[in-house]
Amino acid sequence: MISLHQLTKRFGSQTAVDSLSFEIPGGQIVGFLGPNGAGKSTTLKMLTGMIEPTDGTATICGLDLRRDTLEVKRKIGFVPESGAVFESLTGLEYLEMVAALYAIPSESARERIRQFIAFFDLSFETLTDKLLGAYSKGMRRKVVITAALLHNPPVVFFDEPLDGLDANAAVGFKTLIQTLAREGKTIVYSSHILDVVERVCDRVIIIDKGRMLVDGKPDELVASHQSGTLERLFTQLTGGSELERRAEDFAKTFRS
Amino acid sequence: MSNPPVQPPPLPPASPPPSPEQTLRRLFLTLFLRGRGARGLKKEKAPKSVGSKLATTLVLYALFGCLALTFLGQPLFALSAYLHAMTLMFVGMFVASSSGEVLFNKEEADILMHRPVTPRSLLWAKIGVLVQVSLWLACAFNLAGIIAGSLMRDGGVMFVVAHLFSTVLLALFCTGSVVLVYQLCLRWFGRERLDALMTTAQVVMAIGMVMAGQLVPQLMVRLRGQLAISPETWWVWALPPAWFAGFDIAFMGRSSGIAWALAATGVVATALVLWTAFGRLANDYGAGLQRLNEMSGPPERPRAKRRWLDRLSQMPPLSWWLKDSVSRATFVLVAAYLVRDRDVKLRVYPGLAPMLIMPLIFLVRGTKGDAGSFGAAFSGTYIGLVPLLGISLLQYSQQWQAADVFRTAPLPGPAPLNRGLRRAVLLLLTVPVMLLYATLTWVASGSFSHLALLLPGVIAMPLCLIGPCLNGTAIPFSQPADEAKSAGRGLHMILFLVAAAALTGISIWAWSGGWFVPFLVGETVAVAALYLVFRAAAGRAKWSPMD
Repeated sequence: MISLHQLTKRFGSQTAVDSLSFEIPGGQIVGFLGPNGAGKSTTLKMLTGMIEPTDGTATICGLDLRRDTLEVKRKIGFVPESGAVFESLTGLEYLEMVAALYAIPSESARERIRQFIAFFDLSFETLTDKLLGAYSKGMRRKVVITAALLHNPPVVFFDEPLDGLDANAAVGFKTLIQTLAREGKTIVYSSHILDVVERVCDRVIIIDKGRMLVDGKPDELVASHQSGTLERLFTQLTGGSELERRAEDFAKTFRS
Repeated sequence: MSNPPVQPPPLPPASPPPSPEQTLRRLFLTLFLRGRGARGLKKEKAPKSVGSKLATTLVLYALFGCLALTFLGQPLFALSAYLHAMTLMFVGMFVASSSGEVLFNKEEADILMHRPVTPRSLLWAKIGVLVQVSLWLACAFNLAGIIAGSLMRDGGVMFVVAHLFSTVLLALFCTGSVVLVYQLCLRWFGRERLDALMTTAQVVMAIGMVMAGQLVPQLMVRLRGQLAISPETWWVWALPPAWFAGFDIAFMGRSSGIAWALAATGVVATALVLWTAFGRLANDYGAGLQRLNEMSGPPERPRAKRRWLDRLSQMPPLSWWLKDSVSRATFVLVAAYLVRDRDVKLRVYPGLAPMLIMPLIFLVRGTKGDAGSFGAAFSGTYIGLVPLLGISLLQYSQQWQAADVFRTAPLPGPAPLNRGLRRAVLLLLTVPVMLLYATLTWVASGSFSHLALLLPGVIAMPLCLIGPCLNGTAIPFSQPADEAKSAGRGLHMILFLVAAAALTGISIWAWSGGWFVPFLVGETVAVAALYLVFRAAAGRAKWSPMD
């Protein structure tokens, strides 16, 4: 489904993503992890056609990212970390606008929107009457997730999708992506909430400074590095193991 | 979500699916008319009706266009040139102020760039909206002029057709020119410098437009209602409005070959601009969007450049003046926004531009005799509008929610914030305007004696600075930017102008009566007493409730 070969992105002299290569088959949920500035968002932006790679190739559903950019975009859904929406549209206007961009017939679009309203427990009046600017963060996130799935894409990229969702919505969302994966969709899930990643993902890729550090099943990686949990493995690999000592030093400054 | 599936009521019947291009055009038009951010204190009251907002704007433009009726006694070419000049000014201002936001919106990338739309279709949809709205505005503004032209002796019904066509051409020329400037800036300077460059250009342009808007009526008075221009005047070739006015005259068959030549210049220039902006440079737009998407923030500046404000505020004499840390921090904050923030710059500087016009008007009229004395004295009191407006405009920002930090800080009230804001407005906005007024008054009158007439206004300045801070609401950048447009400042301005006129009258009386110095002493004592009372009241001000 997704194939990266030596994918690289440079901004001037700075290399944000450095020769990244991996393959993700259909039906897999892959946790894409890394510390801040590791190159996760840049990689996702390249894979979603938002920015052009400097070097390397990538294919999604067999389509070349550079050559068939528009076709690739029809095959993917993306929930960006920013959760940006056009705030002066109502939720329904926004979702209908997105549906029209994918040329989804209006009746089908309405039906899917109805299903999402039911799934996310969204108030119908809110969706039709209120501007998105007046939505709570969680409600806005639900609309963004709906917009990403509306055209039934075979590949979905989630960048911090749980940000703003309440506990119930988060549980429902995790079930949703597992169901989507069982139906053959490929899910790339980028998040800093590692226990969720550990529970939901079939596979984890950790990158730092634009380079891949590890790639494998969460339990196997944890076992092979004898780290006990994914969180410990992550801090071990990304230089976070000194954090505890640094936190203690920092706290000491308040004592004096 | 774990509940049994909810059956929502049926949605209203759906219309046939529009094409992606139509969808984008409709989207950008809606966003344009409603505004991008519906955030604000009154979220639920954000405008949803596209029609009512548009109708109000068009009515205002149509009303303003009625000024063209004053041209009824003049040649048709003068009317047409005036209409095209004003249309170019209004449409140019509108397109210039909207283009940056419409063409390169950073948030938009996360919403649209991963969807199956090409940069070219995005560009066309945006251009389509800009042209469409420009045309509406142009038509509304020209409505009265078209009627006037059709009623004039050398006009007629054909003028309606000719002028409508030339107005469409002008709107296309104007939109194309602004987009072309953006594209060229993008190609030559890159997106990183484009923002700063275009902000400066917009500020300068807006100030120029506002000042021109104030000066034109004065010039008309001096020209005794006669715009001595005709197609035969050599310098009209340098003015784009004359090309399109030439089109009107040529189309009606009322003029020589020169009008045809002017018309041809207009048509060729418009075609050239459109071809370059939307044809040749359209590919650069895609690259520009990519670059916008790649940028994580503004380019890093050298450390020395970033810190100059902070250093300045810590050096004498500013460090003596800004003794407490909160006032100093507020001063630096306000100064930084006045220098760096695009939104604040676009609101404050053009907002203050009309203040600069008063001495220029006196320059045009001359400052000799009693009228000159009145002008100089009124200019002095008029400066008081700068702090009033400045303090008012600096309360608004797109980052208004960040001002919560003031309320969470251990401050009993907003007094120290008010103090920092007042001092920033005095030093960075008022003093430069004051110096400019003094220079212009001196140049216009040719003597230093008139400068003394500025003193009554200067002495009253502390009251103008502390007045807006009395109720404790003058907290910098604490109100949503969207609300700046609807903030009611009219009554304050009228009250101020009445007070300014009264002070000017007394000053002139004292000047001509030979008791100017005692008057200044008396005014100083009165202002000092009032200032002390006001300062004590401002110091006691509590936080206004958050609603």
